[in-house]
Amino acid sequence: ANTIYGAIRGLETFSQLCVFNYDTKNVEVRYAPWYIQDEPRFAFRGLMLDTSRHYLPVDVIKQVIDSMSFSKLNVLHWHIIDEQSFPLEIPSYPNLWKGSYSKSERYTVEDARYIVSYAKKRGIHVMAEIDVPGHAESWGNGYPKLWPSLSCTEPLDVSSNFTFEVITGILSDMRKIFPFGLFHLGGDEVYTGCWNLTPHVKQWLDERNMTTKDAYKYFVLKAQEIAIDLNWIPVNWEETFNSFGGSLNPRTVVHNWLGPGVCPKVVAKGLRCIMSNQGVWYLDHLDVPWEQVYTAEPLAGIDDTAQQKLVLGGEVCMWGETADTSDVQQTIWPRAAAAAERMWSQLEAISAQDLETTVLARLHYFRCLLNHRGIAAAPVTNFYARRPPIGPGSCFVQ
Amino acid sequence: MAPALRLLLAFLAIGSCTAADHVDLWPMPKTVSHGTQRLYVSNNATMSMAGSKYSDGKAILKDAFQRMLDLMKLNHNADGANPSSSLLTGVNIVVLSTQDELGFEVDESYNLTVPTIGEPLHAQIEAQTVFGALHALQTFSQLCHFEFTSRLIGLNSAPWMISDAPRFPYRGLLIDTSRHYLPLATIKGVIDAMTYSKLNVLHWHIVDEQSFPIEIPSYPKLWNGSYSYSERYTMPDAIDIVRYAEKRGVNVLAEIDVPGHARSWGVGYPELWPSDSCREPLDVSNNFTFKVIDGILSDFSKVFKFKFVHLGGDEVNTSCWTETPHIKEWLNNNHMNVSDAYRYFVLRAQKIAISHGYEVINWEETFNNFGDKLDRKTVVHNWLGGDVAPKVVAAGLRCIVSNQDKWYLDHLDATWEGFYLNEPLKGINNTEQQRLVIGGEVCMWGEQIDASDIEQTIWPRAAAAAERLWSPLEQIAEDTRSATSRLSRFRCLLNQRGVAAAPLAGNGRTAPYEPGPCVRQ
Repeated sequence: ANTIYGAIRGLETFSQLCVFNYDTKNVEVRYAPWYIQDEPRFAFRGLMLDTSRHYLPVDVIKQVIDSMSFSKLNVLHWHIIDEQSFPLEIPSYPNLWKGSYSKSERYTVEDARYIVSYAKKRGIHVMAEIDVPGHAESWGNGYPKLWPSLSCTEPLDVSSNFTFEVITGILSDMRKIFPFGLFHLGGDEVYTGCWNLTPHVKQWLDERNMTTKDAYKYFVLKAQEIAIDLNWIPVNWEETFNSFGGSLNPRTVVHNWLGPGVCPKVVAKGLRCIMSNQGVWYLDHLDVPWEQVYTAEPLAGIDDTAQQKLVLGGEVCMWGETADTSDVQQTIWPRAAAAAERMWSQLEAISAQDLETTVLARLHYFRCLLNHRGIAAAPVTNFYARRPPIGPGSCFVQ
Repeated sequence: MAPALRLLLAFLAIGSCTAADHVDLWPMPKTVSHGTQRLYVSNNATMSMAGSKYSDGKAILKDAFQRMLDLMKLNHNADGANPSSSLLTGVNIVVLSTQDELGFEVDESYNLTVPTIGEPLHAQIEAQTVFGALHALQTFSQLCHFEFTSRLIGLNSAPWMISDAPRFPYRGLLIDTSRHYLPLATIKGVIDAMTYSKLNVLHWHIVDEQSFPIEIPSYPKLWNGSYSYSERYTMPDAIDIVRYAEKRGVNVLAEIDVPGHARSWGVGYPELWPSDSCREPLDVSNNFTFKVIDGILSDFSKVFKFKFVHLGGDEVNTSCWTETPHIKEWLNNNHMNVSDAYRYFVLRAQKIAISHGYEVINWEETFNNFGDKLDRKTVVHNWLGGDVAPKVVAAGLRCIVSNQDKWYLDHLDATWEGFYLNEPLKGINNTEQQRLVIGGEVCMWGEQIDASDIEQTIWPRAAAAAERLWSPLEQIAEDTRSATSRLSRFRCLLNQRGVAAAPLAGNGRTAPYEPGPCVRQ
């Protein structure tokens, strides 16, 4: 391999060639000799975890990282904070984690570093997200000044310098923890009503002749600059592109989620794209069976090869509204594995397979392998995700 | 002043507070008293055994202590600066007997003291056996928590004086590896989680009609009945499980259910079936059937060291016996009807088990049909309903309670409150007879259970039963509302330790309804 990370992938493949012989009680490799040459189609193959809707203990995050390495996923997108809770320690603004659900549902700075190094050892990047200006209600628990008002608590107060001081503090602290080149700044689902309704914010808008839409753009771009000053490439959810794509910093990576057909528009404008079309790659949507996950194609609608290179890859998203320690792994697997093959394997190899025979058999085998390795991957052929097996039976047919 | 006297005065001065809600322990110990001081546990906490007769040759304590430290830290870096005072440097464990073999009715009692005075300050555990000490370490781990502000491991409400012992010696959980194969990692995870609530018997229902996953060296074709080539347990796998459990104070009760629930045996040996078109129960007329049972039990006796073996005997549908000519003929020749034959089968299997040194457990139908003919040492395993145990003990036999309306985990509509309130001694007032109820068991039948959902179906409801089986009646809440927040915090502790325990609210293994803190779900 050219790098140790290639070698790590090679070891994983080797481990899947090995089977335990129940008669001789040896570990064997069958059908030798093997010659395998491998490399990923996309460089960014992500899984997103949401630790704000429910706190996930460090042990659980470690287990998720382990399971990612089994299917060669290589970016853990850590959606740390959202409106419901703020679990991470921020030394510059130590009251922020008062927004955690409870004193024990928290991550220290060392916890975060530990997660990053645990992932690195498995060849997995950690991309942190600080979603602004929406999805940030929990910030005000420690610093109520960040809210437009006590009765109107999101988005973050665009008119206040303090807001950007806090963002700068958070990002500076995070720069010491998260070495990955990309940093996610969110920017989705921004409901600007509170900006109009709160007098001092409305006044600020009027003074600058801004609509709330202008203020949204202003906020996102200003946050981007803070990240860029810290030597990061900003990633933003697609609304930022849909609303003011031409103004985004040209380094921006646009994160598609609303639907299909977005990345073609993004790359046509010369920006890079990550695909997470919610119709197929949102794992909290339990009614998306593995076949739909598998057949989703990040390059759909993009024929120009130069533009194709702007699609960094894709990401399956494990939103946490109904996912906590008790059910997160069985919601992620095995469907994330279907996406993992779509993002790693060559298109010709994928297209040559038949879904209901060759792919299904291999996915069955992989799901049972995950179970053997202690990962609670759900039955493959259930229509709804994370349902129990319908009745007694072999792992390989459920 | 003598140190002991000083210690005593310290306790008296601080006074004791037994308000159950300040005590965040599960299951609730026999007696607990505590104070109001906060202590910290040193980063380099050590274990000592000064005064022990037991030498820990098998490193049972040493490994348990290390596991306990890991559990207390929960992956956080406890690297805050050690305070100069109020710092516990470690735990001294005094084990009074040298016994290190786990067995039925081994002494599991312990005393745990966390003083606020002493130089150096350390917690003290005293137990008759190492297995009592293991329980003490579990309790100690629940007193400690990681403090996010100081990055230290804190211990509140010291000093603590805990004296504890279980109410019942048999506190079981059944797992079913025939309806679905459970990988070894899954089984070990279940064993670890059992120790957190002090359950001590893993009832391994290994084989049933759907699959035969375990290696039987005497009859090597039996595991052809496994679901697939890799959904199997070798004998070394089984030994590994037994050892893993024993090191944690958990006994493993193996079950080989006969004559019903045994269709999978015939995949390797079709002569065990009455006929090819009528495949259960096992052929009672064929001596080979009993040879195979003997082989199985002989192989078991080398691996499963618990003094009991479970021989099943439930849900025996005998129609294939009357419908298959050669069996019908055998019945006639022996002047038996099918009920006689059922009884004959069970008793003959019992004798085989006894010849291999086991005492036998059978499901309650055997008692309901011919209780007076069962071996006198038989333990009857109640499951059908809630009024069987009184009849069993009145007949002088021992009993294990698992009434399905309350303690079957696969019944998703059985609530944790129902688990908590199910009283094994209900209807039994005579103290002699009460002693014959050796305990109870919650059952995780596997029809819809595999590695993907077993943990959230077992927990937290099994923990509710675990307190009913461990704690004395005085410590068990009469109104479940007063136990709700304590169980909720225990569930969150399980989650923190990586056990996928489901939310309390709603039916078994529901997903959390909405975002929120762990304790409110």
